[in-house]
Amino acid sequence: MKENLLKFLKIDRRWIFLALAMILFVPIIKPIGLPNKTISKDVQNAFNYLDKVPAGSFVLFSLDYDPSTRPELHPQAVAALRYAFKKNLRVGIVTYIAGSTGLIQQLIEKVPAEAGKVNGTDYVVYPYMANAVAAMTQMASDFYGIYDKDIDGRDARSLPVMKGVRNYKDIPLIVNITGTSILDFWVAYVGDKYNVPVVGGVTAISQPGYGPYLQTGQLKGLIGGMKGAAEFESLVKEPGKGTSGIDALNLAHLMVLLLILTSNIILLVVRYL
Amino acid sequence: MKIIKNYLPLAMVMVMGLLMLGSYYVPHKLSVDYVEQMNKWENIVFAFAFLLGLLSLFVSHYGKIRRRQDGWGYSIFVFVGFLIMVVPSLISGGKQMVDGQVTGLGWSFRYVYNALSATMFAVLAFYIVSTAYRSFRIKSAQAFVLFVAAFILILGKVPLGQMAWESVLGWTGYGIDRVIEWIMSVPAVAGKRGIMIGIAIGAIVTSLKIIFGIERQYMGKD
Repeated sequence: MKENLLKFLKIDRRWIFLALAMILFVPIIKPIGLPNKTISKDVQNAFNYLDKVPAGSFVLFSLDYDPSTRPELHPQAVAALRYAFKKNLRVGIVTYIAGSTGLIQQLIEKVPAEAGKVNGTDYVVYPYMANAVAAMTQMASDFYGIYDKDIDGRDARSLPVMKGVRNYKDIPLIVNITGTSILDFWVAYVGDKYNVPVVGGVTAISQPGYGPYLQTGQLKGLIGGMKGAAEFESLVKEPGKGTSGIDALNLAHLMVLLLILTSNIILLVVRYL
Repeated sequence: MKIIKNYLPLAMVMVMGLLMLGSYYVPHKLSVDYVEQMNKWENIVFAFAFLLGLLSLFVSHYGKIRRRQDGWGYSIFVFVGFLIMVVPSLISGGKQMVDGQVTGLGWSFRYVYNALSATMFAVLAFYIVSTAYRSFRIKSAQAFVLFVAAFILILGKVPLGQMAWESVLGWTGYGIDRVIEWIMSVPAVAGKRGIMIGIAIGAIVTSLKIIFGIERQYMGKD
């Protein structure tokens, strides 16, 4: 029996790959619709901060994620942007990741049109900038010193969406959704220094790293991973990819737990019985 | 010669470093203008660094192909990938969408870069699951603590796990969200804060060593 158990412990990893593929495949093809019962404090705070920004204010979205983290972060960006438009906020989008530009393009093809928002009047997209810290520092004194033209080459100063916006004093909230450490820069170089509230959206794997910033209030709220996206979607009452992805996430997480438990039980049996 | 090769770079680094450090705390217009100017210079240097990195990448992979080194076939894809993104980008002037139509760059991004990048990351999930099964073994007290924390966090991350916790341990009055919140805000934050403070002190010390000319590796060997 011990030999059989040991064999199971050294099972060919391709069987595990196959099992995971099957487990992920089923809910993606046919969602089970498992309920998302809780809303975490950090997601609730992120929502509250966006919610209390007065209508007509200019909110800066820094969307810094590429296709590798798209499944977790794109639903967060869609939900936050939808809610900003629903609240009639003016939106500026910047990015410091070259790979984000295509995803931002896909985002603005869809979301503003749903809310009947006009490019240049209700929202504006700025081109990719290579050096995030330099751009962030520059915006503190003069936004147009770094972003003089939008992505379509129009003079940024003359756009109605930028009316009254000169530097961080005119921006009541920054939303940074990122799969990188750019959120750290927003907190350290902008949030702390210029007293601008910063709300983040990150992957589940990097979420625990932001605990210190949340505890000190340097980061006002945090949406973490696909679950965070699902929670934010339920708060804004707009179910999207985050909510539908929860099923696959559920089953994959449970599979990981079962595998870890199984391997440890086998180890105990082999060692002591 | 020694002045140009040694003393001048050291003096430049010291002056620029101290000015940048000081400008963070001085809200005067001159200081702000100086930072803005430096930011513009930094962006220009960044662009050159990109170019240098690209050239270095090409030279390295071209060398591999020329020498028929192990795995040289993969190096071809560096050039293929580069061309697939750069040629459409030049043709479409860097725009991914013109008059509602997806340009060549937009197509390359959506159907090449997007797919490849997402696939690379998605494959990780399979390796993580397989590694969790093979490596997450409780062989010591520390491993047991790690196991318990990981188990609770994974369980609490998904609604099905929350439901399972409630049905088994609901009678205790401690919801899994409260337990997770404690783990995340006490032991996890304590560890993370320690790491962050350590990194920050290290960065400050290294910066000061560079500014005051104690650390000179950036100047090369001779």
